[in-house]
Amino acid sequence: MKLLRTLMAAATALAVTAFVAPSFAADDPGPAAYAKALNGKRVMLVPLAMGFDLAQGWAHYLKKEVEAWGGTFETRDPNWVVDAGAQAITDAIASDTRPDVLIIHAPDLNSYSKLMKKAQAAGTYVLLVDNPANFPADAFVGSDWDKLGQLEAEAAIKGCGENSSKKIGLVQGDQANSSSLYQYAGIMKVLEKHPDFQVVAKPDSNWDATTSRNVTTTMLQQHPDICSIIDFWDGDATGASAAIRDAKLDGKVFLVTTGGGEKAADCDKLVDGTYGAVVMTDLARQSGDMNAIIKFLLQSGQPAGTSHTYIYTLEKATTKADLKPDSCWDLKALQAEAAAK
Amino acid sequence: MNAIGWPNWRRLNQEGIVFAIAILLFAAAALGLPGFLTADNLVAIVRSVSVLGILALGMAVVIIGRGIDLSAVAIMAMSVAWYLQLLNTGTSDGLAFLYVLAGVLAIGLLNGFLVAYADVPAIFVTLATGSFVFGYVRSQLITQDAVPVPGGHWVELLGGVRFLDIPVEVFVFAGLAFLVFLFLRYTKWGRFIYFAGDNPVAARNIGVPVRPMLVLRYVLSAFVALIAGLLTAASLHSINTRIVNSTLLYDIVLVAVIGGIGLSGGRGGVRNVLVGAALIGILLNAMTIIDIPLLYQNLIKAAILLGAIIVDGIINPRDEQTAQQGDI
Amino acid sequence: MTFRERLQAWRYNLVPDHLVGEILTKRWTDNAIPFLALVATLGVFGSIIPGFFKLTSLQESTRQLGEFSLVVIGMTVVMLGGGIDLSVGSIFALSCFSAVYVFFILEQSIWLALAAALAAGLVFGAINGYLVGYLRLRAFLTTLVTFIFGRALFDILVTAYAADVQLSQASSDVLDFIGDGTFWGLSVSVWLAIILAIVTHIALTRSRPGWHVLAVGGSRRSAHNAGIRVRRTVFMTYVFSGFCASIGGFLIACRLSGAGPGTGLNLEIMALTAAVVGGVSLGGGRGSVVKGLMGAIIVLTMTNGLIRLGYGTGTNQMVLGILLAVAVTIDIRWLKNRHKVLNEVYVAPVYLKMGETQSAAPGSGTSYELDNRLSAADHIGLGELEGPEDVILDRDDHLYCGTRHGEIVRFFAPDYKRSEVFAHIGGFPLGLAFDRDGNLISCVGAMGLYSVSPDRDVKRLSAETARSWTSIADDARLRDPNDCDIAPDGRIYFTDSTKRYDAHDWALDSIENRATGRLLVYDPKDGSTKTLLDGYRYTNGVCMAHDGKSLFFAESWACRVHRYWLEGPKAGTAECVIRDMPGYPDNINRASDGNYWMAWLGMRTPSFDLSLRHPDMRKRMTRRLPQDEWLFPNINTGGVVKFNEKGGIVETLGDLSGNAHPMVTSMREHKGYLFVGGILNNRIGRYKIEGADPNWTSPASYWGGKP
Repeated sequence: MKLLRTLMAAATALAVTAFVAPSFAADDPGPAAYAKALNGKRVMLVPLAMGFDLAQGWAHYLKKEVEAWGGTFETRDPNWVVDAGAQAITDAIASDTRPDVLIIHAPDLNSYSKLMKKAQAAGTYVLLVDNPANFPADAFVGSDWDKLGQLEAEAAIKGCGENSSKKIGLVQGDQANSSSLYQYAGIMKVLEKHPDFQVVAKPDSNWDATTSRNVTTTMLQQHPDICSIIDFWDGDATGASAAIRDAKLDGKVFLVTTGGGEKAADCDKLVDGTYGAVVMTDLARQSGDMNAIIKFLLQSGQPAGTSHTYIYTLEKATTKADLKPDSCWDLKALQAEAAAK
Repeated sequence: MNAIGWPNWRRLNQEGIVFAIAILLFAAAALGLPGFLTADNLVAIVRSVSVLGILALGMAVVIIGRGIDLSAVAIMAMSVAWYLQLLNTGTSDGLAFLYVLAGVLAIGLLNGFLVAYADVPAIFVTLATGSFVFGYVRSQLITQDAVPVPGGHWVELLGGVRFLDIPVEVFVFAGLAFLVFLFLRYTKWGRFIYFAGDNPVAARNIGVPVRPMLVLRYVLSAFVALIAGLLTAASLHSINTRIVNSTLLYDIVLVAVIGGIGLSGGRGGVRNVLVGAALIGILLNAMTIIDIPLLYQNLIKAAILLGAIIVDGIINPRDEQTAQQGDI
Repeated sequence: MTFRERLQAWRYNLVPDHLVGEILTKRWTDNAIPFLALVATLGVFGSIIPGFFKLTSLQESTRQLGEFSLVVIGMTVVMLGGGIDLSVGSIFALSCFSAVYVFFILEQSIWLALAAALAAGLVFGAINGYLVGYLRLRAFLTTLVTFIFGRALFDILVTAYAADVQLSQASSDVLDFIGDGTFWGLSVSVWLAIILAIVTHIALTRSRPGWHVLAVGGSRRSAHNAGIRVRRTVFMTYVFSGFCASIGGFLIACRLSGAGPGTGLNLEIMALTAAVVGGVSLGGGRGSVVKGLMGAIIVLTMTNGLIRLGYGTGTNQMVLGILLAVAVTIDIRWLKNRHKVLNEVYVAPVYLKMGETQSAAPGSGTSYELDNRLSAADHIGLGELEGPEDVILDRDDHLYCGTRHGEIVRFFAPDYKRSEVFAHIGGFPLGLAFDRDGNLISCVGAMGLYSVSPDRDVKRLSAETARSWTSIADDARLRDPNDCDIAPDGRIYFTDSTKRYDAHDWALDSIENRATGRLLVYDPKDGSTKTLLDGYRYTNGVCMAHDGKSLFFAESWACRVHRYWLEGPKAGTAECVIRDMPGYPDNINRASDGNYWMAWLGMRTPSFDLSLRHPDMRKRMTRRLPQDEWLFPNINTGGVVKFNEKGGIVETLGDLSGNAHPMVTSMREHKGYLFVGGILNNRIGRYKIEGADPNWTSPASYWGGKP
């Protein structure tokens, strides 16, 4: 802490000196144009809720960057309620302090489409993050869920190995969310290429750990020889892992899931063997992509709604074997950092 | 209800109907579904409804006393979430548990006080405190929706405890059910709950301490919720506070009420909870084995429940003259 | 007057304490707490959020409010009927889906989409209504299950068709207008909510079906026994709720041009919270559309406001929980204790210093000196009568009096042994008078001015006067019409003793001693009633002077008699002719010798006179002591006083034994006899007046000899 403060003080001092001293870099038109385009701009993030690792991670990285270039960063927390999210967006568009960039984490394919169109009409750039929607946003930043599903399936096949029962169980999210639907499609694509592997059951968890546990328990009873289970989200995969523990099949069933790469949620669980493999999103890089496209859009001068960029984040299935110290980001550390300010 | 408390089979009531449906389903599943009638699966059925059943037991005690506790799920999730958060931030275990016990007691007392002494209808009091408990803990005390159990903590170990290969939740559920049964049937205060639920004014006139007992019931319900929360955290190694916004609360009320505990109070007992839990447990298990998608499971569940209450409504129609005002 | 007394006089006579009580009696105070909460919520969020009240911002942010209010209106009606509808969220979602399906997938017109949404809502509502209304299932459990059922169905449908909706190219100007447009500055959803709220409000308060809903909610059993079709009424409330929710669903379909899995989630809890925060009671019977709307605005402003302020998950629920708990607790306590508070604060005594008076004690030698003459009176109807406040005789010598049971009893001449009920009016008939045509005019306590023809036709002449502008309590209604008399031109002059209390609470009025008595006139020509004088301490007896140019009226609690001029130079003004009497005057009537008879209902006591100078003490007394221990005017001794045209006292008659006529409220001279009545007496007395004209009768004195 003390070190940090000293560093910051030093940095400030340096900046002041740099500002005061006549600088030959003043000739570079870049910083001035950059500041002119970005200064005072507003960025708003409307995730599904602020209460989970991904949203908190994004908010952290975005806030740091946006405030650094003199913008205002705000979040809205609909707490998983779609109507509340819709209203938050509506209010934001109609308010005096209309954001220049709206980053939306869509709950499903449809609900916000019309509002996003309205936002663009009002002159606000719309960024979709993580969940795709049936709307041509200015940019989409997030996972290619289809690809992600393929990675999961490949990890599961690898986890099972050649001499296994080759039975795979899926614990899906629900039948409405695009991330769940596309993941499933991706998994199926891979499994088509491996006809010897079969999906024996594919219940839904409704993103709830208790439900995940119950359905997994039943699945394991019906098919005790399952070699791998793919749970569609680390938020409820704890339930599936509990069921595996209950059935005393730890180590025998290879649990694959996906998540935001948070340390406690993913890496720690890989270390203790709860998960066999996690397809992790590199959150810092994803946030970096968002920052870059925001900066680009604000300087581009093109009207909102004219560009349609897709930036898919690099995904990688991580197992205990290839775990590195920097494989995960630590939410606790970010929070501590935020609290220290 | 006769002296021993066995159901009166000649007169088919809601409990009987639900029980019959449960038996039918059980028989059908046992014959039709491979792997249904195995010891492991039967244990799994009981285990899958044990947390629900425990919460329903607390709810049943409150409902029999002509109340309802809509804050149960919030207390269950938030008390444990707060407990785990305290542990994660380095508070000593004893102190943290003491805090949480005090908090749970306070909410139970608040519920009871508002219902008993301020005469506010229970449904509103507990709706409000449930919302408050969730909101306060979520916004002030914890930072995330889900709070993990610290590695190696007794809560984590609790989840792995087995006797005779049966998970600990089942024993807790059975034990609590037996305790509540003894309490309701064989203690003076247990009988008083029926009196107070059946006719609070008359109960008060004969000298039953109606108001203090109301408070007691809500405190009891709050502690039962805490136990359920600890068991949930024990088995999942974390507690997700989003459960408060799920339909779990409705499921608890359903388990209690579908088994034949009247929302108007004074009727029913532990057996009704067991019957309700059995129906839900068998139903969900059988549907999962058949691999019916969750969406259709809800539809089927609702249809069967609707059928049960409709049949009850037809067999036991309510009389305009004897129905209680405000009994919704 | 000491300084302390002067302070008391200012404190109690200038500070309008009585208004607090009068405000509390108003029905609209029921809305006070939700209204204050509404103002506070809007005030707080309006000041914190920049641009909250800006028109364009309001237009957008109130779209959701319109939809939500529609749902809350439906929920309110169901709750008023004694039920609850937890399935509104599902109906909302299914209706939204129906509209979306018809419009985007079937590519039909927007009106067909509306029809589909309404049909979905009505069918769902009808199912609820059938189960709860006709099958008598429990509302909470039933709608809970139909809610889960509807939700599951919606989730399945929306999953199956979501992608198709997005691929659809269907569009419509009407849809865009409903979803995005405004009309006279307000969005369509707000207009619809306002219209539906007004229609529902009128239907609930002013139509038969609406009353039936409230009756069923108030007491289902009584409604059933009264012949109301309870089941159909309950059924209709759920259908209505389904209708409201379906319009809301249609609107959100237009606003978002689609349906998602989150549509209408948690709506039932929000709507329930809104209705409750607004003050609609669970279990039925109490509440209104306005309350529901206030609750809707509070809840939605609060939740959206907190999100707009960027507060995180939980803060909303925390604030909402506190709000709900506080609102409901205050509301319940308020409802329970309102009448207690009212009882505590309603009586607001004022300061009055009574003037010194002459003694009325036997042997004191004053003209007020009481004697024992009335104890010698014969009795009529002993034990049959209860409360003959006033007595009167007609041209055929028959005797009439009112009774506590709301009847006018006639005793037949000549011996007055036989009696019959002449007419039943109701209320408590007090002052009586015959008009020129022989109609019996009566002031009926708690009802108004009535006329009974010789054929016993009862007709109401007047029950109200013009309302004064500054009054809070409704002073148009006649609360305590007390006595009347008739001028030669046929106009009826009568008194209304108090605006603050009903007739039977006259003792409270005496303790409060506030000057709210009135003198009024009823004109039979046009049927109008006018207030002539206001602000007297319990106006009581009225009597037309012998020449018909003025009238006397008594001011009981001030122990005064006034003369009101009908014509001449002082027409329209009143002057005090007798002041500071030792007794409380009641009715006044003519005497055969050109003088006037006046009844004393009771005698002043030094203790009560003293208490009138201590309003604080009287206030404490009414709050802390049981009613039978209160100090109020002595009514155990009364009498009859004869006074002359100038207000001079001629003589005083009394009953010192206290057996026959301890309290006198009226007396009437007829053919040499004085007929004496008392409001708490069980008889009418007949006293032979020495030296009186044996042929003089009151009807003849007023209207001349027999035609």
